[in-house]
Amino acid sequence: MVEPDLIQDSLPHNNYTDSDLGSNFKKLRITDNVRELQTVLRDKTTSRGDFIFYADRLIRLVVEEGLNQLPYRHCDVTTPTGHKYEGLSYQRGNCGVSIMRSGEAMEQGLRDCCRSIRIGKILIQKDEDTREAKVVYAKLPPDIDQRKVLLMYPIMNSGNTVIKAVQVLKDHYVKEDNIILLNLFVTPQAAKALVKRFPNMKVLTSEVHPVTPNHFGMKYFGTD
Amino acid sequence: MEPALKFENPRSNSCISDSSGSGEEVDHGLEELTIITNFPESPLKGPKSPLKGPKSPTKLGINKKISFSTSSKSHRVYQSGLRTLYTSGRPPWYDSHGSLKEPFVIGVCGGSASGKTTVARKIIEALDVPWVSLLSLDSFYKVLNEEMHETANRNEYNFDHPDAFDFDLLIATLRRLKEGKSVEVPIYNFITHSRDQSTRTIYGANVVIFEGIMSFVNKELLDLMDMKIFVDTDSDVRLARRLKRDIAERGRELEGVLKQYNTFVKPAFDHWISPTMSSADIIVPRGGENLVAIQLVVLHVHGQLQKRGFKLRSKLAHSADNGCKKPDTLKVLEQTPQIQGLHTFVRNRETARDEFIFYSKRLMRLLFEYAVSLLPFKTVSVDTPQGTSYQGRRLDADKICGVSILRAGETMEQALCEVCKDVRLGKILIQTNFDTGEPELHYLRLPKDIKESQVILMDATVATGAAAMMAIRVLLDHDVPEDNITLTSLLMAESGVHSVAYAFPKVKIVTTAVDKEVNEKFHILPGIGNFGDRYFGTDFEKLVPIDRTPMTRCYSEPGCRDVEQAE
Repeated sequence: MVEPDLIQDSLPHNNYTDSDLGSNFKKLRITDNVRELQTVLRDKTTSRGDFIFYADRLIRLVVEEGLNQLPYRHCDVTTPTGHKYEGLSYQRGNCGVSIMRSGEAMEQGLRDCCRSIRIGKILIQKDEDTREAKVVYAKLPPDIDQRKVLLMYPIMNSGNTVIKAVQVLKDHYVKEDNIILLNLFVTPQAAKALVKRFPNMKVLTSEVHPVTPNHFGMKYFGTD
Repeated sequence: MEPALKFENPRSNSCISDSSGSGEEVDHGLEELTIITNFPESPLKGPKSPLKGPKSPTKLGINKKISFSTSSKSHRVYQSGLRTLYTSGRPPWYDSHGSLKEPFVIGVCGGSASGKTTVARKIIEALDVPWVSLLSLDSFYKVLNEEMHETANRNEYNFDHPDAFDFDLLIATLRRLKEGKSVEVPIYNFITHSRDQSTRTIYGANVVIFEGIMSFVNKELLDLMDMKIFVDTDSDVRLARRLKRDIAERGRELEGVLKQYNTFVKPAFDHWISPTMSSADIIVPRGGENLVAIQLVVLHVHGQLQKRGFKLRSKLAHSADNGCKKPDTLKVLEQTPQIQGLHTFVRNRETARDEFIFYSKRLMRLLFEYAVSLLPFKTVSVDTPQGTSYQGRRLDADKICGVSILRAGETMEQALCEVCKDVRLGKILIQTNFDTGEPELHYLRLPKDIKESQVILMDATVATGAAAMMAIRVLLDHDVPEDNITLTSLLMAESGVHSVAYAFPKVKIVTTAVDKEVNEKFHILPGIGNFGDRYFGTDFEKLVPIDRTPMTRCYSEPGCRDVEQAE
């Protein structure tokens, strides 16, 4: 049995996020299943094999939800029984951009849903002297300004890295409201900072919590 | 409609043609296809178009083989190398409420070596129905301790006494079989006088034949039998057989066998076995040679089985109540644009097969993530590498086990493995009988400890719910608690949902969409087509053989849509 106030203590932040952060900030629907994924990723006793397995599942759910934000149009098709099905089809012209290194962990999840989607990469590192985030490398699809962009970065502490990356995209003439950020764990500060800086960008995350699992990239890639 | 060819030999009742699309037909394939042209319309829409007529071809969806049966006789046997498959499986043994129909139990009694087993086997042969189980009293000898074992080796232990048998275990076993449950039958070792480690599993009997020398001694046991047969064979014949069997097959000495016969076997027959003849319904003189008696028994059993059977599926299809509200156990995946988009791909008949597979797999992944979220969870606290503790949730079940309903359900196994790590998988093959339109159970393999698992039952589509109900019934018979079962499916028809929910109110039903209608061929409308055929590429849209020229075929894949005309 768990004490009720213990649960309260661990979840004080989830209450205000939805109201404070505006309609472009979206959280994955939290089922017991999603909670389990988060729990395993945070547990320090989790083996690397399990970590990757559960991380991939969570990433897949975030990606599927992210794809839900893309534009579509209605489209009727005929089923093999000869009857009409009122469906919908997604519009073409999307691409992914991962922020290296940990953002690359999410590429496969996107690839598993969209087999031939174009994926750009941005490498951002902290300047040792100024402590500022600096763009080291960026390779993006040439017509990125015509596309919807699924920006991928799993862990956000301050949000500085992502802010820098979005800036890079905007420098390539990507419209702010064409960007959908796919994220797994974010701190309330980072969430606020992002929403304030880019109010038209869509942000999708699985959890807002003051402590983020910062070991994500190291454990996923096995470099700890 | 009489087929053009009719084989009398049961072995050739089924012909197999390779459908892998190589274009080559096996020798009898062409003959088969000529038969098919006699049908008024293309009969090969798929295995789930059952009621085309009494002589419609049967299709066996395993090993990518199709077997066309050209005989309406019940012994349809598909022979492939060492394996024999009955193309007529087990018809439903429960009613539309999911309740059981009891199997018919035949008891066979008689003196030692009187030919009980032979009679039992001849009955089974003549009955010619699958799903008959033979249970022998020999399996239920008590385990002997060291001292008794020694006595037995000196031929001084009395095996021909009711006390030598474990009647409690036997009655419990037979009772479970009667309830349709699976049972573990011990294997008795006559050398060590103990039970082997391994057991034999019997499940799914419509007819149970139980034979043994003391079959009729126990009153409680007698009450479990629907028909009692006593095999009466001359005692000289029995002694001669016994000598031969014990010396040749069980490796014993003449001296000892005779001693045992005189001290135990003969007195036991006179004292215990012979008097029970009065309990019998039929006395069969001369044992297995008495074909007339066996024929009479078979006629009676057939009559009894007929009485118990009825049309289940057609009843299910009409039991749909459209005005009914959706049952509480039904959980439909949230209809997001993404889900609808995936459905649009999967349902579209123009969708190429690789796309069909890709998008249906995405749909399955989401389905299982959702299904797993409905399992029981518990709150846990974990330590994080960041030095804080974290209050989270973990699954509150030790084991998850997936069971797929072949063939279409099998396509979902991989997606389940991607969601549940190290999940164990069972399989159940259920096919539609084209003569009756009823589902039939053909094959089943389940993990041993399934009763302690949360079971995720998978079938790609559920139309009338007949196959799903049969599979759920199988799981219940293997002691899986009803509320541990989750039925998952990509698409269900309302009638199927209602039938399953009505028969099994605790089974969770999880699907990505529910369609309104089922047509008279039990296809869901607007539906998805035959999922298994589209996934595995075994669907023929048209099959038009032209006299001597090569086959003209048309597959549904756009790449192969062009009809190849013979020059």
